[in-house]
Amino acid sequence: MRRGSAAKKTAVFGVSLLLASLLPLVITSAYQMHLVIMTCINIMLALSFSLLYSIGLITMAGATFWAIGAYCSALVVLKGGFSFWVALPASGLAAALAGLALGSVLVRVPGVAFLIKTLVLAMIVPEVFGYFDFFGGWAGLLGIPGPDPIGPLIFVRKVPYYYLGLGLLFINILVFHALYTSRVGRAWSAVRLNPNLAETLGINLYGHRILAFVISSASAGVAGSFYAHYFQTLEPGMFSVFKAILIQIYSILGGLGFYILGPVVGAAIMTFVPELLRISKEIEPILTGLVLILLVIFLPGGILSLPERLSAFRSRAAGRIKPEEIPGPGGATEG
Amino acid sequence: MGSLLDVYKLTKYFGGLAAVNDLQFHAGEGEILGLIGPNGAGKSTVFNLINGFLPVTRGTITFEGREITGLKAHRIARLGIGRAFQASTLFMKLSVFENVFNGFHLRYRRSAWRSFLHTRDAREEEERAREDVMGILRFVGLEKLKGMLAQNLPHGHQKMLGVCIAMAIRPKLLLLDEPLAGMNPEETATMSEVITKVRDSGVTIVLVEHNIGAVMRLCDRIVVLSQGRKIAEGLPGEIAQNRDVIEAYLGTDEEEVAENAS
Repeated sequence: MRRGSAAKKTAVFGVSLLLASLLPLVITSAYQMHLVIMTCINIMLALSFSLLYSIGLITMAGATFWAIGAYCSALVVLKGGFSFWVALPASGLAAALAGLALGSVLVRVPGVAFLIKTLVLAMIVPEVFGYFDFFGGWAGLLGIPGPDPIGPLIFVRKVPYYYLGLGLLFINILVFHALYTSRVGRAWSAVRLNPNLAETLGINLYGHRILAFVISSASAGVAGSFYAHYFQTLEPGMFSVFKAILIQIYSILGGLGFYILGPVVGAAIMTFVPELLRISKEIEPILTGLVLILLVIFLPGGILSLPERLSAFRSRAAGRIKPEEIPGPGGATEG
Repeated sequence: MGSLLDVYKLTKYFGGLAAVNDLQFHAGEGEILGLIGPNGAGKSTVFNLINGFLPVTRGTITFEGREITGLKAHRIARLGIGRAFQASTLFMKLSVFENVFNGFHLRYRRSAWRSFLHTRDAREEEERAREDVMGILRFVGLEKLKGMLAQNLPHGHQKMLGVCIAMAIRPKLLLLDEPLAGMNPEETATMSEVITKVRDSGVTIVLVEHNIGAVMRLCDRIVVLSQGRKIAEGLPGEIAQNRDVIEAYLGTDEEEVAENAS
């Protein structure tokens, strides 16, 4: 039964990877290719947000470790003279270390205190990048080179960037999926659902929260490195709190309970729809704010919770009682 | 009978108020010890001190000859002290099966790293764990409800599931906080049977309970608290006759005590 569903998941994963890699055959405009690449990045950011949610932490610093990864990568290449292929893992590592240092302070008190502390961090970090000339100041870092060619991939047009982004995204998804289905992921869900009970079951709350914070930071850092060398320009304004809120909306829109598919669906919609509707940057915050409010009121479980809600609605309309509501042998379903 | 848990001169202040004062008792291996007393006597506080949820003001707690005062709750769980809560503290949105499965962290011998990589031995260990979960559910008679969400269970079954979750860590000592509260006579009988079965499987039990009749029948020994102090200790029969207990705990209506104790 479980092995069957695992095989199904592998099949879905393989087919979507195949379809995604065929996408450049369909999309010919560079502008739309750009949107697809940005979707890959935004999915990775939402994945890192949802990872923290999976242990019950809601972060406002979703764009912060992305920024740290991006600036680290750009500086390693621009000032250190290293190749992108060195900078990419280096910025993941740097973001992880920053996550360890900051996280060990931040996660000590979870809940609202964590939210506010990460909000303060999210406001400080862009100011630091803007203040010091070392980080390019408010004008930002310009002329960040693209990755050196690797095999058949020469990073001039959009398509090679897309394949690089897609590769990073799928590695990210594979790693996170393995994590969620391991006993570590189960421990995290126990902590999210009932921290006190989890602690009496021998789960080290503080240790696991730090671990989650470090992994989340590292994956955002890698996404940041890719972004820096794709966009080739960094300025502090890109990493504002508003971006952090957008990242939250990606995860919430798709569905907070769906740690992998939620970010994929939410980020894809939120990246494409405003662009295709040609909504100007001035009114975008108003609309995204509206989306967030409507979601929380009408669809707190996100888009992916729709099928379940519809079937619940239909069975209620038909006056049937769900089998799992009857105690006794009839209620026994597969675990 | 060796002593498993030793509480020595345990004191806990909340501000200037002593919730637990110079408390001293022990739980022998394989016994069911009842902790009773009127509301606000400090029974739940004693549990919170033993399992590390609250810091101790003074005194020591020794488990298997090792001092555990001041250890973090997850460390104490690792040593083998399980706890089922007063209010039905479960993973409400998960199924009965998943509730117990979530309690299995301490059972795995393979590293978390191997579990992450989904190596064959780690997967086999998880398969065995799933069977063990069913074993625990069968032990208390919840196996047919394994797919049901915890929040949809009747109250008595939720309490039973709380015991199952605590059993998941293979405790040597189990702290049960009002396991019979809010139960009808039938559920009380079933739960008492489960508690006795758990003890017979080699687990020492300390329980806090208001249902005096059930405590008298169930416990090997009873410690009575009032206002954070121990006012009596002894066999159920002795406690039922103790004047201090009757006065502090049950008021002065002796007939009611005799009735409850019978």
